[in-house]
Amino acid sequence: MRQNAVEWVVLALSIAVIVALVAALVVDAVNDEGAPPRPTIVVHEADARATEAGWLLPATIGNDGDQAAEQVTVEADAEVDGVSQTSQAEVDFLPSGASIEVAFGFTDRPDGEVTVRVIAYRLP
Amino acid sequence: MGSATESLRDLIRAAGGGLLVGLPLLFTMEMWWHGFLLPAWKIAVLLAVAFVVVVGYTTLTGFRRDRSWTQLLVDTVQTFGIGAVIALVALVAMGRIDTSTQLRDAIGQVSLETIPVAFGVSLAGAQLAAPEEGSDAGGSPTGDRAGVGILGRLFVAAGAALLFALNVAPTQELLVIAVEADWWLMLLTMAASVLATLGIVFYADFRGGRGGPHPRGIWRSRPLEVPIGETLAAYAVSLLVAALLIWAFGWTSGMPLDINLRQVVVLGVVASIGAAAGRLLVGDR
Repeated sequence: MRQNAVEWVVLALSIAVIVALVAALVVDAVNDEGAPPRPTIVVHEADARATEAGWLLPATIGNDGDQAAEQVTVEADAEVDGVSQTSQAEVDFLPSGASIEVAFGFTDRPDGEVTVRVIAYRLP
Repeated sequence: MGSATESLRDLIRAAGGGLLVGLPLLFTMEMWWHGFLLPAWKIAVLLAVAFVVVVGYTTLTGFRRDRSWTQLLVDTVQTFGIGAVIALVALVAMGRIDTSTQLRDAIGQVSLETIPVAFGVSLAGAQLAAPEEGSDAGGSPTGDRAGVGILGRLFVAAGAALLFALNVAPTQELLVIAVEADWWLMLLTMAASVLATLGIVFYADFRGGRGGPHPRGIWRSRPLEVPIGETLAAYAVSLLVAALLIWAFGWTSGMPLDINLRQVVVLGVVASIGAAAGRLLVGDR
């Protein structure tokens, strides 16, 4: 009889795992309104650092839309010593809610503000 | 028959089994990369899980069941030792490890590749060995002995799920499918996994399969004795193994939970088929 109880517990836990997974998938699908990808770029200037390979500016690429984007190319522009410089980063897969860490590189610390923008992405 | 010859034969068989199972992953780029990308402790966790699986598998399938626990542990350490040597030789032969490789990266790569190779070595010992002379190993590949029980069966299922899913867990395909598939496809995938494994173990008449009416009748059986009960439990175990691998291979960093859950479903296909194969391996004992 005790063996039987253990088996019922195992079966109940198993069904709970499967049902929870199904529920999570369904809830996720219900919340998905199919909004197009909306890439976001947050630069972390406080974490920027000078290296032998240049001045590196970390940034987080996110996606506030519902749909995923692929091959997302983002660009950062800044003036360094009076000359404008451009740095690019590419993210292969950017699902909704993702946060991918990248870094933009410049030859030296930019003079003014760094502006960022999305250049292109591809829908899956 | 000299025992040296016997040991040599055992070693050759171990190497054969190790390569048979380990080769696909030895040839997988992502495995090399993860060898130096993954933090050391995650690789250690995977190795520890693999060690427990091999100990459990060897105990349950009863290869030389008469031996003591110490002997069992020594044998398992030996299994991983042989696995590590094979992995090292293979990685060196393929030019993945040379004199310019950092020691830490070499250790990471060898450790990760040791897991599938060690599974193969252990399989070679327990399943692929010809029956010993004088032993009464007859119809069943591992001979006659007391049953493994349903929980033992689930344990073997978990080990086989780990072995199979390991082949897919490090690959980018898992992410591509998870990102691009529609949600209802995910649900169909889950249903298909359950139906396919139910069919494989109970209705396909594989060797080790358990078709036919249950002796006690379906309503008087224990919950996990019923085909659908065992199948659901094995599927849940497979999903947990898939989740472990998704976590261990670093898919959780930067990716939202819903993508990881989809990856678990996709990897769960491979894991559950593996679990079914594992249950066929231990047969109806």
